Amino acid sequence: MARIVHYLNQFFVGLGGEDAAASPPSSQLGPVGPGRRLAQLLGDEHEIVTTVSCGDDDAAGRPEAVAEIVALIEAAQPDVVVAGPAFTSGRYGLACARVAGAAKAAGLTAVAAMHPDNPGLDEAGGAPVVAVGEAARMMGPALDSLAAAVRKLAGGEPLTNADGLIGLAPRTPRMADRNAAERAVALVLARLAGDRDATEVPLPKFDHVTPAPPVDDLASATVALVTEGALVPDDNPGALESARATKWLRYSLAGIDQLPSGEWRSVHGGFSTVWANADPHRILPLDAARELEREGVIGHLHEEYLVTAGNGTSVANARRFGIEWAADLRHSGARAAILTAT
Amino acid sequence: MDWAATLPSTVGAVLTRHVHLIRSVALGDATTLQNGALSVSADEAAALLSAPCLADVRVSWASPGDAVRIVKVLDVVEPRTKGAGGGGIFPGWLDDTVDVGGPVHVLRGAAVVIAGYLPRAQEAVIDMSGPAAELSPFGSTHNLVIEFTPAAGADWAEVDDVLRRGSLALAARLAEASLDVEPDLVEEVLDPAPVEDLPRVGAITNLQTQGVFKDVFVRGQSFVGAAPVLIDPAEIDAGAVVAGQYGHPSLRNSTWVHQNHPVVAALRAAHGRGLSFAGVILSPEPVSAADKQAVSIAAAQLCADAGWDAAIVTKEGGGNADADMALKMDALEELGIASVGLFAEMAGPDGTGPPIVVPPEKATAMISTGNYDTRLSLPAMDRALGGDELALLGVAATSAMELPTAVILGALSPLGWSRLTCAEQPVTA
Repeated sequence: MARIVHYLNQFFVGLGGEDAAASPPSSQLGPVGPGRRLAQLLGDEHEIVTTVSCGDDDAAGRPEAVAEIVALIEAAQPDVVVAGPAFTSGRYGLACARVAGAAKAAGLTAVAAMHPDNPGLDEAGGAPVVAVGEAARMMGPALDSLAAAVRKLAGGEPLTNADGLIGLAPRTPRMADRNAAERAVALVLARLAGDRDATEVPLPKFDHVTPAPPVDDLASATVALVTEGALVPDDNPGALESARATKWLRYSLAGIDQLPSGEWRSVHGGFSTVWANADPHRILPLDAARELEREGVIGHLHEEYLVTAGNGTSVANARRFGIEWAADLRHSGARAAILTAT
Repeated sequence: MDWAATLPSTVGAVLTRHVHLIRSVALGDATTLQNGALSVSADEAAALLSAPCLADVRVSWASPGDAVRIVKVLDVVEPRTKGAGGGGIFPGWLDDTVDVGGPVHVLRGAAVVIAGYLPRAQEAVIDMSGPAAELSPFGSTHNLVIEFTPAAGADWAEVDDVLRRGSLALAARLAEASLDVEPDLVEEVLDPAPVEDLPRVGAITNLQTQGVFKDVFVRGQSFVGAAPVLIDPAEIDAGAVVAGQYGHPSLRNSTWVHQNHPVVAALRAAHGRGLSFAGVILSPEPVSAADKQAVSIAAAQLCADAGWDAAIVTKEGGGNADADMALKMDALEELGIASVGLFAEMAGPDGTGPPIVVPPEKATAMISTGNYDTRLSLPAMDRALGGDELALLGVAATSAMELPTAVILGALSPLGWSRLTCAEQPVTA
């Protein structure tokens, strides 16, 4: 009998939707929600002994959450850890990928399930991820795939593409026979001959984000300032990169009404920072935001701002920053954010 | 050039290159060329860059295979001239003559390299040996490296201008040493006259134009705010396009690369063989999205007006410049003109991220010039030029270090110089 531990978010264990997204990690015995169908599919040789869950905001936004989740999983002594399916849900996908990755790092056998376009995919840290459909209406086939994968893993077999394993096929550097200009001429000739598929770079598919509904009552809402303009305290204490940022930082705005020149500066490497540094409000409009707060137009200004440098940043990192910012802001109660871009 | 004989007789040579292959270099009492050995007077070279805003100018050689790292590289220029005094070369800088006639005298295998701190310039590296040497066009040239110390309180924009004028004058002066020497090669540069019944294919060369320290010059004038313009490729050969853009080192087109425009060379080579080379359009990369859109539509319309059937589009700069590429390629496809774009990938260190920041929506044909984020392990060097420290890492410029390909000058060959590319590694479950 293989012991399975299933990770789900707050929604699929029945705690609620966005209203429960801040709920902390918790554990309950036996299968829950889609886990019941998964248990049926797995049959008598496997048992979902425990279901661990966490709110999406907490799991994707609080750095310690994943370790706490994995501790709950380890306590149930699983043979296989299953996370999801998360479909295209960003925060849930990030959480499933990180939980599977951390479980693997802890020596457990783990698998996550999500859509191949889920931005969380990059965070699985080498744990296998099985492809499923876009949304919960595809739950049936998703659980079929996942059950098959769990059976193989419990039996000690590796997953392959035939099991729906999403291959993060790396694109690796190499030297071509001809230079890029000569290959471009060959490609033009192929294109003119009617070949519309010829290319050396497959087009990436980007997800389209549905805007959140407007804030009902701005006068009572907490509004945050966030920026990719790399505005930091003058000594750049968090060592934010000027280009190709791999991280984002937070700095407190509590009790501050102004960002004086000389005390704050932009370390962004993609534009002349002379005018930004002469008046840092050009990057982070704290002065105007405080005025709106005083006038009662907005309820409160969030007490810290989030910052990175948007210059040569990989799409994967930028997408991760976005998901983490959304989770972090929701976690802290902010209901709107002003993102200043450079 | 035996293939030239096979071309239709309507195609005539309008420019001749007298090419001298530089085999060895030295500093000496005079600037001379003998049997492929180029000797340069350091005093004469420094004097060409002398200006009140520069306290000091230093001259040294770095050759292929040397354990030398050149850091803080600004621009690289190939020594060329059309005759004593610089007439007709680098138009708008040394002389106002626009002269597409020949011959142009070329010191192939030599380069003038300006290296040193300027504000806003991103750290750019040339290694003369080790794994990065083959990635940059300038790892295999004999580089006359010009280092400088600004005068106290000097205006940086003035320093930039003096360095640019000085490096162009020096490049022309070096090539003058070849005027009385028989060339190793004589290359006929062909007039791209239309060939009946073949598709007309041209090059759109985007130039990154964002103001001081991020600018490109055409016939001596800043290209900021310019409209897309057709230019005779023979003018580009004569140095009509001069770099002043010091962002994104690997995605920067140094003056040397414009002088040796790889897409023009490839199209010239294919002229009469499946296509008819239709010419070159220079296009700025403006800052705002609206201007990018307007310029893209204008460039595509210019191609249509000129009767092009297809265009090879190239860029300069990082992800921002992908937007110029995507808009232009889509605008071309809208007008029924096939487009191929040269893109560098920004796919993360392991190459698993999305490769293109702003992909086109209609166009699909893209050439990969490598991954910006690929890490390189570079060996320690005996000597560093351009500065003592590598700005990005805060370590001695001579030390062993790991750098992304993004930092190696010209390594992602936006104009198509390099053979570097990326391809998908088969999935192993």
